[in-house]
Order: sequence, then structure tokens, then C-alpha cells
Amino acid sequence: MPPLCVCFRAVTALLFTAASANAAVTIGTDEEARLPYWEIVESGVSIRLVQRLPDQTRGFFQARGFSVEDSEVIAQSCVFQTVFKNISAAPTPSTIEYNLREWVVHAAGARRGLKTREDWEKEWTTRRAPPPARLAFEWSLLPTRQSYRSGDYNWGMSMFNLKPGDVFDLDVVWHQDGNKRTVTLKRVRCAPDIHLKPGDL
Amino acid sequence: MWFITTAVTAAERDKAQTLTPLDVPFAAPDFALKGEDDKTYRLADYRGKVVVLNFWATWCPPCRYEMPSMERAHQKTIGEDIAILAVNVGEDETTVFAFTGQYPVSFPLPLDRDGSVIAKYPVIGLPTTFIIDPRGNVTHRAIGGREWDDDRLLGQLRKLLKP
Repeated sequence: MPPLCVCFRAVTALLFTAASANAAVTIGTDEEARLPYWEIVESGVSIRLVQRLPDQTRGFFQARGFSVEDSEVIAQSCVFQTVFKNISAAPTPSTIEYNLREWVVHAAGARRGLKTREDWEKEWTTRRAPPPARLAFEWSLLPTRQSYRSGDYNWGMSMFNLKPGDVFDLDVVWHQDGNKRTVTLKRVRCAPDIHLKPGDL
Repeated sequence: MWFITTAVTAAERDKAQTLTPLDVPFAAPDFALKGEDDKTYRLADYRGKVVVLNFWATWCPPCRYEMPSMERAHQKTIGEDIAILAVNVGEDETTVFAFTGQYPVSFPLPLDRDGSVIAKYPVIGLPTTFIIDPRGNVTHRAIGGREWDDDRLLGQLRKLLKP
């Protein structure tokens, strides 16, 4: 059994209280992706980040029209699938808003932001990526800003501009009915750049 | 494994399916797009009906999850003035045709190949769905997937048919 499998299967769901009161942070293995996730569940909100292997990302974007070189740039950027949901409901519905530019990545003693759709668009202009690929890229990413009412949610990739295997802390910030909330995810790990064979997961 | 997927749980299906009323309804921008069946679909032709205008892509997991419920909603509302238009964003006929092999639907799937139609609507993420009333005004929206055949949700659509 490859070491990676041992690692994945050893990740059992841990539940602990994060720095923010009332926020539960769960670390586990996503049932379908069979890759590690970090999840915040709090009154009215759930946010899950699931690792994406660089090879998945390469394949996805090459199939959408990116060159091998451009898809490699994306694959090496520490990509997570992110699911952000407004889980509030009547009789206490909430409006949830976020702006990824408020999120802070702490890595190797430095603070940095995420690489957003707008940051990437400048890069694709410079690199002359084909329009269909850019269109797919834009809609694949988690929106930079969003406002959710009850029942609303998005799935999208978030990109942390770190290397495969890097470890970082992440300040996740949102506004619930105008009140700012911050929860820090500790020791989030970018997926390693491995090439799986059938049956590895 | 192009995209990470998680099944829609029974608990999620049981949640109230909500459409958000817009604070300020707006006139739905018209468009004419070819479908994967090679027919042309013009939004203005649906005036007098409630239109469920969905923006989606085949690679988007929540878009895929809501397709079967959209088809069930379509079947439930046959004979009523409720139309579903699911506009695919950025993909070609072959891709969408292959998708319908796995997710057969009988409502139109217009193709917004260059993203020019989605750019006219306030969409930030896929899927997003707008509800257009019989006068052509966008009155509600849903960000993310829904269980479209939910009776409460269909009730919201039918309410728009009443003058």
C-alpha cells in the first residue's frame, strides 16, 4: 500500500473548537474525493476546503483548453475545492457575505492573500491563454466576493499560491448579518504532487 | 476524477428549498442562443410564461446534481406556463450532448459558447438560476443548486403565474 494511502486512511475526523467561539473545525477525509478536508461549521455557515491533487488540476484545465505549461502553473498553485454554504433557515435566516481579499494565509512566517480570479485574469492576458479556457477558469474558481441568502452556496476552486505539500494557517473571514467573523484553520496542507495509479485511493 | 464530488445528502434534500426574492426586480436581458439540438432559443419567445433561467456547466458538481430535479420539475409542470431554460456556459454541442447521455433532460439547453449571455446577468458563481415572471422581469434568484421539484418551490413559481 503506497504511503499516501496510509496517510489518507489515517486521517480520521477530529473535532475541536477553533480560536473563534462556537465554531467547530473538523478535519477529515472527504468521502467522495478521498482526500483531506478542513471544515468550519458555525451557526448558519459551513465552509469546507478539500485538497485537490496537482494531477487532477492539470487534467481538468488541459481538458478546458489550457496549454500544458499554463495548466502546470495552476496545478503548482496549491488548489483546494471550496464549498461555502449559507445553511441558515427560517425562523432565523441570515445573510452571509465574504470577500476573499480579507482572508489571510500564514505560511513560512509571512502573511499573504489568496490568488483570486482577477489576479489570474491579468496573468492569462499576459500569457495569452485562449478565451474558452479563460472562461472555464473564471467559472471554476470560488467567486472573489459573494453574498448568500438562506440555502445559497457555491463550489469553486481556491488557490493559495503555495507549493505542493506546503503547510499554512488560514484566517477565514465572513460577515453574517453585518457582523464580522473570523476562524483560523491551523496547519492546512497543500496536496502533494503525486501521480496516482488506479486503486491508490 | 476531474472534480471533487459529494453526493446530495437526504438531509440536504429535506431542507426547505428557497428562492430569494430580489429587492429590485429587473428586466431580463433578451438573448438568442442555439441549443445542443441545433434549434435557436430566444428568451423573448417565452413572454407570458414563468421562466426558470439556469446557468450551468457540465464540470460543475452542483449543476449536475440539480439537473435530475429540474427534469422532474419540468415533467410536473407540463401543461402549465412554466418553462425551463438551462444555459450552458462555455462548452460545445459535443460535450453537452455527451452529458445528456448521463443526465437526460427534455427542456432546452441553449449554448452560451463565448459567455456573452451570462455576462448580461448578475452571475458570480455556477450554478445560478433566475426566475423571470410572465412580464419578463427577473424577480427571484438561487445561488447554488436546488431540488426544483420540491412542492414548496414549485408553489413559488406557480404563484408568479397569478396576476
